[in-house]
Amino acid sequence: MSSKKKRTPEDWIAALSMMALCLITMGNVVVRYLTDESFASTEELSIFLLVLTTMAGAASAALRNTHIRIEYFLLSGSSGRRRMLAILGTVATVVFFLVLAWLSGRMAWDDFRYGEVSMGLEVPRWVYTTWVPALSLVIAIRAGQALRRELGELGELSKQREPGEPGEP
Amino acid sequence: MTGAVLFALFAVLMFAGVPIGVALGAGGMVAIALANADAQYFGLLAAPQNFYAGLAKYPLLALPMFVLVGSIFDRSGVAQRLVTFAIAVVGRGPGMLALVAILVAMILGGISGSGPANAAAVGGVMIAAMSRAGYPAPFSASVVGAAAATDILIPPSIAFIVYSVMVPGASVPAMFAAGMVPGVLAGLALIVPAVLISRRHGFGAAEKDQPRPPLFKSLREASWGLAAPVLILGGMRLGWFTPTEAAVVAVFYGLFVGLVIHRTIGWDDLFEIFREAAELSAVIMIVLGLASIFAYSVNTLGLADPAARFITASGLGSTGTLLLVLVVLLVVGMFLDGVSIFMIFIPLLMPLVVAFQWDVVWFGVILTMALAIGQFTPPLAVNLMVSCKMAGVPLESSIPWVTWLVVGFLVATLLVVFVPELALWLPRSLGY
Repeated sequence: MSSKKKRTPEDWIAALSMMALCLITMGNVVVRYLTDESFASTEELSIFLLVLTTMAGAASAALRNTHIRIEYFLLSGSSGRRRMLAILGTVATVVFFLVLAWLSGRMAWDDFRYGEVSMGLEVPRWVYTTWVPALSLVIAIRAGQALRRELGELGELSKQREPGEPGEP
Repeated sequence: MTGAVLFALFAVLMFAGVPIGVALGAGGMVAIALANADAQYFGLLAAPQNFYAGLAKYPLLALPMFVLVGSIFDRSGVAQRLVTFAIAVVGRGPGMLALVAILVAMILGGISGSGPANAAAVGGVMIAAMSRAGYPAPFSASVVGAAAATDILIPPSIAFIVYSVMVPGASVPAMFAAGMVPGVLAGLALIVPAVLISRRHGFGAAEKDQPRPPLFKSLREASWGLAAPVLILGGMRLGWFTPTEAAVVAVFYGLFVGLVIHRTIGWDDLFEIFREAAELSAVIMIVLGLASIFAYSVNTLGLADPAARFITASGLGSTGTLLLVLVVLLVVGMFLDGVSIFMIFIPLLMPLVVAFQWDVVWFGVILTMALAIGQFTPPLAVNLMVSCKMAGVPLESSIPWVTWLVVGFLVATLLVVFVPELALWLPRSLGY
């Protein structure tokens, strides 16, 4: 795997929030057994980190093309068909996550505008919710980059075909 | 009409190879927009809300943690030592290594929660050993791929966590307890054909004269691995930890074993282990979040109930309907990964569960068994892909062997269908 040499910002966010989740949960166990107390308020932080891990990890997966999909038709057939399906998959992914970024951005903007605070720690809610639109944008960008790389690889496979389409939407 | 658009768009996108999550989310959003043409933003603000709510669930935290446990134990050197110990116990001879592979996969199933991670850990040790002993590579790959499928039944299990998050009334501990007996049963159902085939063809006769590993030395070395399922399952049972906490304790235990005891993990591997586990969990959880948009539109459009009424009125009866559901899931499972199947089908199947008053825990176990079979049934078999890649053989070459293992697993599944107590006895007697 070539994943080791180049680490993107979302790789760091994903790995570090995963580590933080472990430490918080372990801390909860230790504190509960030592002091008979629970800091249940950390539940809110853990849930936020879970969402953060998911969005950042999904961006990592978009760049590495490891999202769950039916590859049966994608990997068989002529290189022309594979090209077309690869482009379709990416266009759908990019458009979808741009729409999700916009909609979830609206949600975060409302949280900010109305000064919503979280239930447990009473942190402004937008601190949690802005990450969803931000990382949705990153997912869309990474999906586009993955397509450019994939089309390059397919182009290598079939040198006789001239790559006509632009790599990125 | 809107319902037809929802399913048609989803199916077209999915079969065209668009990521499943995007297909679910896009289908859901278009259906919401069509149904709320007059509302502000076409009612689409419900989409990010459902997406966020689908992810932000505390019990779901157990999922990335158990994925991480799998990534760590995969590298911890535990599998090799368990194999040596198992050989010391069962001895050498035709079919014995096939037996060892299945037993070790089952023990690792008590540590990790995902099939492909298990197939990688067991395959990494067993495939080379089996080929030295004279097993054909496609057979070894079939055994490893099928044995790893018991992983999602034997607790802890990622499939059960997802089911439990989606279905009210099926708690994680209850699901974990319910999977134990069916998981062991499925393991036995694989051992019988695997050993019989080996004996008949004389696979593994080449290693008959090799020395047996010393029992106590190999037990001592395997003890770190053997203690892990005891810690995870025992800790949950005794109420020391919640499932999430049990996973995190196993993370630290596995890191300790890998870093300090067996020294198979270096400090500089840590970042990559966490990053990889984050990515592996994210591809599941993003589908879960986006499937909430799909489920929201299925529910608000009221699509599942008429479908359920149609089936209940068709006169198939409870058992007939259940078998029909199983057949559909087995076919779908040949093309689609298991956890995604849960997320697509559970919102559709729940009205049937209510109509026939099926026990949700038992139903979850049966769905998971169907899904486990899909993990090693070609053409799309996630476990078998891993093990065939490791054995260096094409997936098709495993078909003559893996077919028998599919039959064995199917028999175990039917036993649980017709004898629900196999799944329900343990959670009841543990009081969940």
